[in-house]
Amino acid sequence: MTGSPQPVVFRRVVCRYGRSIAVKRVDLTVSAGEHVAVTGANGSGKSTLLRAVLGLHPLAAGDILVGGESANGTSGWMARRRNVAWVPQRLTPGRFPLLVDELLGSAIDCDVARDSAGDLGVAGLLRRPLHTLSGGQLQRVFLARALGCIAGGAGVLLADEPTAALDFAGQEQVAAMLAALPATVIVVSHDRAMSRTCDRIAEMAAGRLRIA
Amino acid sequence: MQQFLDLLTLPPVQRSGVALLLAAIALPIVGVFIVGLDIVAVRFAVMHVALLGIAVGFLTGLDPMLCGLAACAIAGAGVAPLAQRPSGLPGAMGLLMTFAIAGALLVLSVSGVNATSAFELLWGSILATRPVDLVVLAVLAAVIHLLFWRYRRPLALLMFDRELALCSGVPARLLMLVLLIVVAVAIGASIRLTGALLVDAVTILPALAARNLGHSLRSMVLLAVSFGFAGNVCGFALALALDQPPGPVLVLVAGAFTLVTYLLPEGAFNASTAARQDDDRDLRGAVPADSLRQ
Ligand SMILES: Nc1ncnc2c1ncn2[C@@H]1O[C@H](COP(=O)(O)OP(=O)(O)OP(=O)(O)O)[C@@H](O)[C@H]1O
Ligand SMILES: [Mg+2]
Repeated sequence: MTGSPQPVVFRRVVCRYGRSIAVKRVDLTVSAGEHVAVTGANGSGKSTLLRAVLGLHPLAAGDILVGGESANGTSGWMARRRNVAWVPQRLTPGRFPLLVDELLGSAIDCDVARDSAGDLGVAGLLRRPLHTLSGGQLQRVFLARALGCIAGGAGVLLADEPTAALDFAGQEQVAAMLAALPATVIVVSHDRAMSRTCDRIAEMAAGRLRIA
Repeated sequence: MQQFLDLLTLPPVQRSGVALLLAAIALPIVGVFIVGLDIVAVRFAVMHVALLGIAVGFLTGLDPMLCGLAACAIAGAGVAPLAQRPSGLPGAMGLLMTFAIAGALLVLSVSGVNATSAFELLWGSILATRPVDLVVLAVLAAVIHLLFWRYRRPLALLMFDRELALCSGVPARLLMLVLLIVVAVAIGASIRLTGALLVDAVTILPALAARNLGHSLRSMVLLAVSFGFAGNVCGFALALALDQPPGPVLVLVAGAFTLVTYLLPEGAFNASTAARQDDDRDLRGAVPADSLRQ
């Protein structure tokens, strides 16, 4: 089952790390099915903004609505995370091995995730622990997992530099794949192929967001 | 040989043999959790928490052993919120240990209980295993296996990366709470049953060996249980044959097994996985990873 794309609304979002403010009153409305690329200098707050959508970073002020609802309480966040597929920028290298197949199995629709792994050229790695993959292989596996979540009903994709470690052919392929995705997409990317296929480009600078 | 077989007919020896077998099938799994959460210091922390509980038991006139286990469970639950920070747990164990020692000494002093008698209750001996201890171990073993086999997917995600687990819909907070309570109670009970020295032999050493050889949570658990089983059987038999106390002999045998896994060249165990990988590729008829990237 495929869910329908959901709008994502940021309302005066503020995120802090202790005293320093990483995201400063960001307002952004992404309508259902729209694809937005977020660019901006290193350290300008892009990852923090995306992580806040998933509740991985707390909001100091403001609100984020997905599908018109803000997330509250354990069950609220569970529903939010089910609704939002996620490609992290980097993986905290776990102390513990996890197999590629186990990661793909954590997608909402694992069959689609495994098929997508085939499309992305990493089907031969299913039995490998994640920490033995190359950077690009790892990104392909996370993309495949996210595609499995979308196929399983998530209406939003948040991808944090999903093509940063990919070769040129991979960047083109992934840009085309995301462009065809029936979901709302917010993708942090410095890659031209990706920004060309998006409907809009937003730029972050020192925690503030500007629509280009 | 005859003498060895005669020893095996003695009820205390039989009971301790059963206790070690039960411990071997369950406690290495706890060891894998401990290594996975990076909380090897938990055994010292829990030991002192149990001591505190026992002291409270003496003070209040409740069953000291039950109080000890209850204190372990409470401590496990108490440190769970600290697990929300990536590096919170390892540090929390040190803190917990310090608090527990101080608390135990204070309560012992206030209650006028002799510290040695409290310690004696804590330092079990495998040959003094009572039937009721076997029941406790069996229940513990059942709970640990149930927890692992029922929830191994979410557990694997949680121990790999908490954020990934959260984003995959794993109730991370609840699972971590249950995990820490089970770890604390298992360690507390096994200190009582097998003595503090043996806890390492049956819990942490097999897990360390398994971490050196395993590639996934599941393979690590299976390896750890095998190591625990082999170590306990060989160690116990050797101790009986040599007529020496089982504790130290078991630790040495289990330690030797673990040492060997550190000496194996890295990847020595990978041959079978590599072969399986090729199978996967053929079975799925997928394009080999490299051909797409040209
Ligand atoms: N854990 C942390 N503690 C303190 N400050 C942090 C932490 N994580 C990030 N920051 C700071 O917050 C700011 C925003 O970080 P963020 O990761 O969101 O940047 P980014 O735009 O994603 O950068 P990049 O392009 O390098 O990925 C940076 O100045 C960074 O140094
Ligand atoms: Mg970033």
